Amino acid sequence: MASLTTVLTARRGRGRPDWTDWFSYGYLLLGLVLMFGPVLWLVLSSFKSAAALNEFPPQLLPYGQRSVAVAGQEKPLPLYRVTMPDGSTRELAEVRRIGIQATLVDPSAPDLEYKVNIRDRKPVREFRLATGNYTEIFREFSFGTYLWNSVFITVVATLITLLFNAMAAFALSKYRFGGRDAVFLLIISTLMIPPTIILVPNFLVVSQLGLLNSLWGVIWPAVATPTGVFLLRQYMLTIPDELIDAARMDHASEWRIFWRIVLPLSAPALAVLAIFSVMWRWNDFLWPLIVLSRTEKFTLQLALNAFQGELTTQWHYLLAMTVITLLPVTFVFAFLQKYITTGIASAGVK
Amino acid sequence: MAGLQLKGVAKRYGATTVIHHVDLDVKDGEFVVFVGPSGCGKSTLLRMIAGLESVSDGDILIDGMRVNDVSAAQRGLAMVFQSYALYPHMTVYQNLAFGLENLRTPRATIEAKVHEAAQMLRLDALLERRPTQLSGGQRQRVAIGRAIVRDPTIFLFDEPLSNLDAELRVQMRAEITALHARLGATMIYVTHDQVEAMTMADRIVVLRAGRVEQVGTPLELYNRPGNRFVAGFIGSPQMNFLSGRIAAVHETGAHIALDAAPNAASDAALPLRGSSVTAQQPIRLGIRPEHVTLGAATAGSLHLTATIDRIEQLGAASFLYCSLGSGERLTVHTAGQVEYARGNQVTVNLPITDTHLFDASDAEAALALR
Repeated sequence: MASLTTVLTARRGRGRPDWTDWFSYGYLLLGLVLMFGPVLWLVLSSFKSAAALNEFPPQLLPYGQRSVAVAGQEKPLPLYRVTMPDGSTRELAEVRRIGIQATLVDPSAPDLEYKVNIRDRKPVREFRLATGNYTEIFREFSFGTYLWNSVFITVVATLITLLFNAMAAFALSKYRFGGRDAVFLLIISTLMIPPTIILVPNFLVVSQLGLLNSLWGVIWPAVATPTGVFLLRQYMLTIPDELIDAARMDHASEWRIFWRIVLPLSAPALAVLAIFSVMWRWNDFLWPLIVLSRTEKFTLQLALNAFQGELTTQWHYLLAMTVITLLPVTFVFAFLQKYITTGIASAGVK
Repeated sequence: MAGLQLKGVAKRYGATTVIHHVDLDVKDGEFVVFVGPSGCGKSTLLRMIAGLESVSDGDILIDGMRVNDVSAAQRGLAMVFQSYALYPHMTVYQNLAFGLENLRTPRATIEAKVHEAAQMLRLDALLERRPTQLSGGQRQRVAIGRAIVRDPTIFLFDEPLSNLDAELRVQMRAEITALHARLGATMIYVTHDQVEAMTMADRIVVLRAGRVEQVGTPLELYNRPGNRFVAGFIGSPQMNFLSGRIAAVHETGAHIALDAAPNAASDAALPLRGSSVTAQQPIRLGIRPEHVTLGAATAGSLHLTATIDRIEQLGAASFLYCSLGSGERLTVHTAGQVEYARGNQVTVNLPITDTHLFDASDAEAALALR
């Protein structure tokens, strides 16, 4: 906490804040608002009720109208602040409304009814989170299925990516064989081919393999990444060969050397690749859109897209889903970001 | 137990040959040291024995079995690396146990063997530490322990002490020698330090540029170096080499005239055995600094006048760095303390029986074998 204060109050010199301090903080604040403003608005809006979302002018915080239980009424009635003909204001509960005429009662004395013009009453509002948005999407739509599909694809694809890329990187960094550099260059050169170009061939392959509308159809084409092989190979080059020789002298099989020595020592690079892979797979939209066409196979990203109906869009649900979709990547990034920098730095410079 | 034989072993990288036809017979339980300057191929040879490098030509036999195509893991040897090569992500215990786990040894046996080795090497208190938390000497002992636990028949050491400071090196030298005495296993030890070679070895193999220059016990190499390279490599400070020629050949031996004293053909004859020399043949005469004496001329010696350039007094011994009339340099190692000062002229005596005679040609083979 103390370090956070130090960071947030850091200044250029010791004495009065310099103009550069004001400028820096201003610039950073602007950046913060630009970057975080939309996210914050999204999160706040996801807690608004459908009615509050349609309000104009929009409110930043989620508000709901207060209601009160009135004797003799089945449901709680909405509360209004009413300007009475004599100029005084009272809080009354609305029983019904016909045209521009509203009928209200005093909650403490429900027998006496007041008839007021709707222009003379204003809703009494309070800060209220519409948490129903979050619970209802699980109940009303197969949101759980989409979430499971996304989690399954992300976790399984990441695990397979780590394993396959690490094996390729191990061979390319620790074995001497003819054509090794050619293979490596070939793998790296695939970085230059935009994914959209191979979309159709990929689709044909996946279709022929009968993997359409299967989660594996999303997983398999994505697991071999040139970035991952490059990242891990560069890192593994820094593992001393003597360690591998020592393991060989220790009767370790090549698989055991890979599993017990090289993999644990590559942990920082593996962490980086895992972060990347989680973000890629989680946010992936185009490829799942092509492979998965049945609703029950949809990932979250596809579901979000499908949720924008042709006629109406239930924004309050859509926003709640978007927030849930954002969460995993945010957590991964927030907690593992130091691995990203160290991993990339150590993989880049030997 | 196991002996080791190398038969015409060679190693080539493309067109470059780094090991030329090495023949060697290591007896069971022997402590053999490979010594030579950097890049002489001693480590490569060791790695070929270990199975970490392939053999281009020739055969390696362990216990009479050809092992050229046997993988390092299957040869049953243990190796201690220069960098120790401890697994940084494992504790000392796990480091020691890793080899046994790979052999699918029962857990109880592993535990017993690891603790036994740890006790032998005084590592008991460190078993739960990681290699990064250990000092250099402790890491070295873990590396040796990792070799010991598997009861290998042959130990291979690749410059294991080069990363230690001088004091620790002396201590570890004694520990490895004691270990050899206790285990009785065959050990092959690579070093570039001739002191290590002299103090530890049963037999020394001197290598240069991928060739074996000479094989012998430490004192054989010291007393009867086979060529000028071995003579210069073994012994510290280095042997002095003076150029000259054979003045005359008699039945008793050869008389020598040095460039440093061209007219004073030695009165003492250097006995020659088995090698033929001719008069006027150019030669190189070698003499160790500790054999040179100072002061009045003595019989049976070559006498030279030298100017002292530099003196190092160590108390128990003194080193005099002199220059001769021919521009050659001569180092003198004398016991005790000396009274000389820089610039003094002294008479140095080279006792003829302590000199070594080498051919002045490229091969520089020893001519006189006493």
